[in-house]
Amino acid sequence: MSTPYPPQGPVVHDPSTLPVDDNVNPYAFSVRLNGRWFLQKGKMVAYYGNIAFHPIGYGALDSLISTSFHSPTHAADWVVAEGQGHMILADRAYDVNSYDLEEGNLTVRSGNLLAFAPSLALKQSIIPGFLTLIGTGKFVAASNGPVHFVEPPVRVDPQALVGWADCPSPCHHYDHSYMRGVLGGLRRLTGIGGASGEEHQFEFVGAGQVLLQSTEVLMAERATGMVADEPGIPGGGMPRQGGSPQPQVNIPGLGNLGNLGNLGRQFGL
Amino acid sequence: MAFTQINGKMIEAPILPGQRLFSQRGAMLAYRGEVTFTPNLMGGQGGIGSMLGRRLANEDTPLMTIEGNGTVMFGHGGHHTHLISLSGETLYVEADRLLVFDGTLQQSTMFMGSQGGVRGIIRGQATGQGLFTTTLTGHGSAAVLAHGGVFELPITPQHPVHVDPQAYVAHRGEVQSKVSAAIGWRDVIGRGSGEAFQLELTGNGTVYVQASEEKL
Repeated sequence: MSTPYPPQGPVVHDPSTLPVDDNVNPYAFSVRLNGRWFLQKGKMVAYYGNIAFHPIGYGALDSLISTSFHSPTHAADWVVAEGQGHMILADRAYDVNSYDLEEGNLTVRSGNLLAFAPSLALKQSIIPGFLTLIGTGKFVAASNGPVHFVEPPVRVDPQALVGWADCPSPCHHYDHSYMRGVLGGLRRLTGIGGASGEEHQFEFVGAGQVLLQSTEVLMAERATGMVADEPGIPGGGMPRQGGSPQPQVNIPGLGNLGNLGNLGRQFGL
Repeated sequence: MAFTQINGKMIEAPILPGQRLFSQRGAMLAYRGEVTFTPNLMGGQGGIGSMLGRRLANEDTPLMTIEGNGTVMFGHGGHHTHLISLSGETLYVEADRLLVFDGTLQQSTMFMGSQGGVRGIIRGQATGQGLFTTTLTGHGSAAVLAHGGVFELPITPQHPVHVDPQAYVAHRGEVQSKVSAAIGWRDVIGRGSGEAFQLELTGNGTVYVQASEEKL
């Protein structure tokens, strides 16, 4: 993966030397296409051969939605590449990696997923903003800096999380001691003392792998689609159950805007 | 405790009971074990005096204290990281470039004028370091942030090093630095080479240079 030193000069690729389903360099990935692949809009940078790119929902491809996409509302963000040849994928010079799943599952932040083989099924995660891939096959995801794999138990800064595989229990962890006591109360009331920025993490336990990106710069979030407006679905449109009333959203003032923005993102609007 | 570099943008640091680490606030990526992160009012070591000094010197980048038992991973803002281990020498670095450092290192603030008088002040202005810089002395590790990869250039009395002030990250050892200006009439009419100011480092030590002229 690392560039050889001293530099060997530019490597010239042609269709016979382009890697088959492998990285060309840390920032570009070459897919040997023979059939179909799915990619997010705008992630193809070059191709050899005879490849056609169609939006999903176009003619005969409409049936794909039922087999590979399980959320009709976000299918508009995806493109089907069809044909024979080499296709090179990249995303704003972020590091690109491929992952092989074998009868497995991996959940990844929606903005980080670039493309996946049609043998995988793409589903919305219960956790808003994440997508889950299930089945056997290869997919390509971008990350800000190389991806680092850690095994649970681990607590992860929300912004450094790329995704996770096989972990059953992603949950929130709050640094309680920080908010407790006289000093904590003062801090919360006055803001004096500041925040360490580390009061809140995602906690993972159990068997599996957690994927970290090495920085805290996020990629633009992709819409993951609307979730059904039913009771019991996180992020759905139902009012919260239990005694405490919903926060009043319709108070005039600037606060509303922030709330709406957040809601919109959660709903993938 | 020795830090390890996981990849170009990530640092892993072990922490044991009774030890302390200082890091920039919000720079933790993940941790294992029982670790607490406390915002550091003082912005580092020392008492109220040190804090006031740092406030005045504008070297009071928000820090947090890390204590506990486990390992912590650090990274910040998509910048490259570079590990520096010190064994008794002094590291000169801007506070906002410090990602994380051992509690065993002695942190203090240095007035640029104390190294070269008025010339030092001019140097601080030219390099964007300001009038003050942070020093770390002792035995331990520190990690610095840089835009682009970092490389080390050795400085020996026979071989002084010239560095673009914008690409300068940090230096260590017994090093004198001064700004050398090579301004000619071309610069005045806007046809300069763009390399009019250089940081000249002489003495014994190492300078860390980033492969970019962009600031953090």
